[in-house]
Amino acid sequence: MKKIKYMMSGGLAFSEQQDMEKLRKKSLKGWHVKDFKFMGYGLEYGEKEDVIYSIDYRFLDENEREEYLDFFSAAGWRHVCSEADMHLFKAAPNTAPIYSDKDSKIEKHHRQGKVINGMALGLLAFTIALFFVSIFTTGTFQTVAKISFFGVFVFTVPAIMTAMAIYYQKWKIKLKDAK
Amino acid sequence: MKQIEQLTDSVFYIMAALTTPRHGYAIMNLIEETTKGTVSIGPASMYTIIKKLLQQEFIYLYDDSDSRRKTYLLTEKGREVLTEDIERRKVMIQLAENGLKEEQS
Repeated sequence: MKKIKYMMSGGLAFSEQQDMEKLRKKSLKGWHVKDFKFMGYGLEYGEKEDVIYSIDYRFLDENEREEYLDFFSAAGWRHVCSEADMHLFKAAPNTAPIYSDKDSKIEKHHRQGKVINGMALGLLAFTIALFFVSIFTTGTFQTVAKISFFGVFVFTVPAIMTAMAIYYQKWKIKLKDAK
Repeated sequence: MKQIEQLTDSVFYIMAALTTPRHGYAIMNLIEETTKGTVSIGPASMYTIIKKLLQQEFIYLYDDSDSRRKTYLLTEKGREVLTEDIERRKVMIQLAENGLKEEQS
């Protein structure tokens, strides 16, 4: 039987680099990523291997997929798994990075941010609306609005934090190369 | 996607390679060979740049009969943009060369 275990992600928007390094350490011990799992990765036990990992975000049409993956394999990056618009690759330690220039690297985080930005904004608008409803109504209506407010608030805060973390990443890359 | 205002080195190299029809892998190889390995464009950067060049109509899909290795070629617009950028780069080089020559004499 195959040995399988789960590794939790630190949240890609917050700690992509840490996640990739953690995965490398796991591979050195023989645990290799097989697929993305809910908020983490599924690892499978096999032979020990020294590999580095990289992740890319891109929405791909079915007819774009083959070409996209071929670019990576031509550069020595093996495709590990994909989930929605996330694609994970691995390569031998000295392989050149998948992003070689600043502009396209910033766009990576831009694409990553698009989905979460929309979600955070929608949630924020909804939270504010519920807040006002709970102020200007009375009775059952108010109670329902209040409870919903806190229910939504729990999701709004992490969504905004994630969106901010992505902005921070973009800003960091811009600043680093401006020196 | 942001518009390309001035061609970055990576964009310049890729456009230069697409003066004849080439697929991504051939572009990477050409750039690495001509620069003797000092310049290599990562696959994710390459893919991003090609998509952007297509969107701005600087290049077009020349042949997609092999879905794994689609080939691209500069459009008329792309040729103009590349020619302009060569001129811009020539001015840069001339300035530096003249400066160094004057220093010697």
